[in-house]
Amino acid sequence: MDRNSIARMRDDRGSIDFVQLVVGLMIVAIACVGTFQALGFGYDHLNEQMRYRKALSIARSYLEYWQGRIHTDFHPSDMQTRAGNFGRGPRIKLDEGDPATTTDDIYCTVEYGGLQPVDQNTTGIGTDYWNINVQVIWQERGHNRGEFEEKRITLFGSMVAAEL
Amino acid sequence: MNALRKRLAREDGWTFIEATLAVVIMSVMVLGLTIVMLAFREHLDRSWAVRSMDQYGNDVLENLTHDLRNAVDIEVAGGDNSPYHRVQVKFLNPYSHDRFDYNNWRVDTRSNRVIVNNRELQPYFPPRNLRRGESYVIEQFTLTPYGKETLFAKPEGWERADALRRDPKFTNAAYEIRFKIRYNRNAMYTDDVNWSYTREYFNRVYLRNKNLIVKKGITD
Repeated sequence: MDRNSIARMRDDRGSIDFVQLVVGLMIVAIACVGTFQALGFGYDHLNEQMRYRKALSIARSYLEYWQGRIHTDFHPSDMQTRAGNFGRGPRIKLDEGDPATTTDDIYCTVEYGGLQPVDQNTTGIGTDYWNINVQVIWQERGHNRGEFEEKRITLFGSMVAAEL
Repeated sequence: MNALRKRLAREDGWTFIEATLAVVIMSVMVLGLTIVMLAFREHLDRSWAVRSMDQYGNDVLENLTHDLRNAVDIEVAGGDNSPYHRVQVKFLNPYSHDRFDYNNWRVDTRSNRVIVNNRELQPYFPPRNLRRGESYVIEQFTLTPYGKETLFAKPEGWERADALRRDPKFTNAAYEIRFKIRYNRNAMYTDDVNWSYTREYFNRVYLRNKNLIVKKGITD
């Protein structure tokens, strides 16, 4: 290889060399991967928000159920009902993933805590109203594969019995 | 001849291979960018459509819930096998204790709007500026007692079992609202595909005034 040919290879006038091409391609590739990851993250987040809203709706409906029960269909002597069902509440399907399989469906557990009587000495017959505590628990997929994150919505409410 | 050879041997400027490679890379990039932009626009359109549905669905749910919370009684017409119920909500007149007021809820299936007392609940739904092929359809508007299974209302198994054990005073006053909207986008070009998305809005309402002793005191 003579001196002229080396000088020609180093010549940089008006053209791109292999290194520039590879670096350019890498920059474009990284930008594309970043863009798609951002879009994917946003899409997942929208799904997560949708599940959150549905869980909120389930929690509100369950709270409404207990308000109705206390109002007309509840006996203060029923200690089993008063104790709540934390840890053994019913499961409800929150979201469906791939319709072809049920393995990726997401379920939530709906529970209520012990019903708390509150007596403010306004009625003279004992309990003025009851406090209710309802929670919905479900698992969201974490950032890493196989990792799950527990989500929980807790709602508080109160109700008087209709006999008051 | 010598001058021509010298000119062809010069290396400034682009060679044919470099130019071809550059065109190929640029084409791939532009194509990729176009696909990303189209997908992004599609995503924005769908997300806007879902937001419109959400806003209307939640409006209907909240307004009807508000009415039912004030109601002393309701009448539901339409039957168990219909996806559209007509609901008459009866509530006490706030100024006169021996008078009742009524709100009549129904769905106009031609315009796909919820109508209350012959007026549309919200004027902005379905959106006026729909594009070609776009449409919204109200698929269901039902009000069923707690735990009751019908063709269009499918409560959870434990709710159905629980409803059988409950006092009728409770089951006659606890209602479940189901409101379902579908967004359609039909194919306008040969490469397009039809796309639709359905969403159900659900809420349970307990009619407090139906079992309230105050109601008796006022109305008797």
